[in-house]
Amino acid sequence: MEIDRPVWPADFDVTAILEHLTLAKRYPSLLFCHTQDLRGEPSRFPLATNLFATRARCARAMGLPPERDKMELSLAYAELERQRIPPVTIPASEAPVRQVELRGQQADLGILPIVRHFEMDLGPVLTMATIMKDPDEGFYDITFIKTFYKDRPRRAGLTIHSPHHLRILKKYEERGQAAPVINVLGHHPAFFLGSLALAPWGTNDYEVMGAFLREPVRLTESVTWGGDFLIPADAEIVIEGVIPPGEKEICDPFGEVTRHYQAQGLKQAFDITAITHRREAILQDVFSGHEEHWYLGSIPKEGSMFNSLQRQHGCIKAVHLPNSGAARFTAYVSIKKEREGIAKRVGMSALLESWQFNWVVIVDEDIDVFDEQEVLWAVYTNTDPSRDIDVLKNQYNIFFSAAGHQKVIIDATRPLDSAFPAKINVPAGAMERIRLADFGL
Amino acid sequence: MERIFWVECRACHGKFYCDYTLRHAGLQLICPYCKEKFLPEEAAWLDERWR
Repeated sequence: MEIDRPVWPADFDVTAILEHLTLAKRYPSLLFCHTQDLRGEPSRFPLATNLFATRARCARAMGLPPERDKMELSLAYAELERQRIPPVTIPASEAPVRQVELRGQQADLGILPIVRHFEMDLGPVLTMATIMKDPDEGFYDITFIKTFYKDRPRRAGLTIHSPHHLRILKKYEERGQAAPVINVLGHHPAFFLGSLALAPWGTNDYEVMGAFLREPVRLTESVTWGGDFLIPADAEIVIEGVIPPGEKEICDPFGEVTRHYQAQGLKQAFDITAITHRREAILQDVFSGHEEHWYLGSIPKEGSMFNSLQRQHGCIKAVHLPNSGAARFTAYVSIKKEREGIAKRVGMSALLESWQFNWVVIVDEDIDVFDEQEVLWAVYTNTDPSRDIDVLKNQYNIFFSAAGHQKVIIDATRPLDSAFPAKINVPAGAMERIRLADFGL
Repeated sequence: MERIFWVECRACHGKFYCDYTLRHAGLQLICPYCKEKFLPEEAAWLDERWR
């Protein structure tokens, strides 16, 4: 949907609209055509947000029919995650993202209509992907990182907690070198979905992006480093800069994926060296702590987790990371249970699939893990708290919750070692014979 | 669960919280509401309870 009325994203106009829509259970993607920049002046950049707020739209972005938006979507993601299509390099003169180049004093983040999302946020925050390059092996790593505007045009703060980004950054810091990093503020939705792929260390993520786009990513020279650091040629906006070794900035609070504010802390400084963009560039944003943020977490993990658990156990029916667990804390796994005790084994394996999990719930195959009411029914009726709930202590988790560094496995499957009631059902034959339309319904 | 502490800004009296690593780091906190910078000891109110 296009919105013509002017908005000032830094004054919560955008997130107030999104919150109203969310409360009404409406999740359109929005293009704000007339925005104000950080100084409150009309900006040249429209703002797109909420693009990933339904699984059906994510399916379309990956070239799938929108109705295949549950386990099929996650498995398709896992399949694309394994594929590689090498990028191609084009001259800067042909690259859309190099159509406008802002350097020196012109490279001012204040020209952007950056969104301030939530009341306690330290300030406006860019929420899209960053790219770093390993100084030894030369591969590019892409992930989502928050960039904090710091009330100084060419200085920002970055809150990096991606393991691969941190590993690359450490290499630069140990050498006393500034680490190049770019911020990609708009691209094809499949580019951003692919950036969350769980690719192993050493993978050139531009090759992974190619798989998700189903064609080679076009790259071009950066303004700051030339051919030594290639940037996506078809990006809307790219911010180039460096993380100076040892320099930190106060960042956060920020309303995070978990719907808590991240506590204020010291994070990496980010010095802007250039901003490049298309002539008609659109700034993209993610509505943190809401549907699109959650689907960007659940869809990439569900498929790879299904494949991993299936290889180990052979009885997995479906995997879902529900929005109620911010698509980070919680996993629901359904299994074809053939002997007692297998649910706990699956639960232990599932916990190892992500250090973000605090809760894993295992249910029987007749429970739809995408239907939370069914999952909770299984928990409340099948789970014997004294036997079926296990707590593992002193485990690692980065996100703040009362569970903290504890992991919980809940076996909500029907016990096979004792007589147990059956779930109610209308006979299948009757369900097939009776059609609502025949009764005017 | 990571330890945090709440503070109240000495200028605008807005409340926010910080990672506990900032509690005795000698660094000024930044109020998200008014951008006032102040040390934790200078806060109008501070809650660092921990169980």
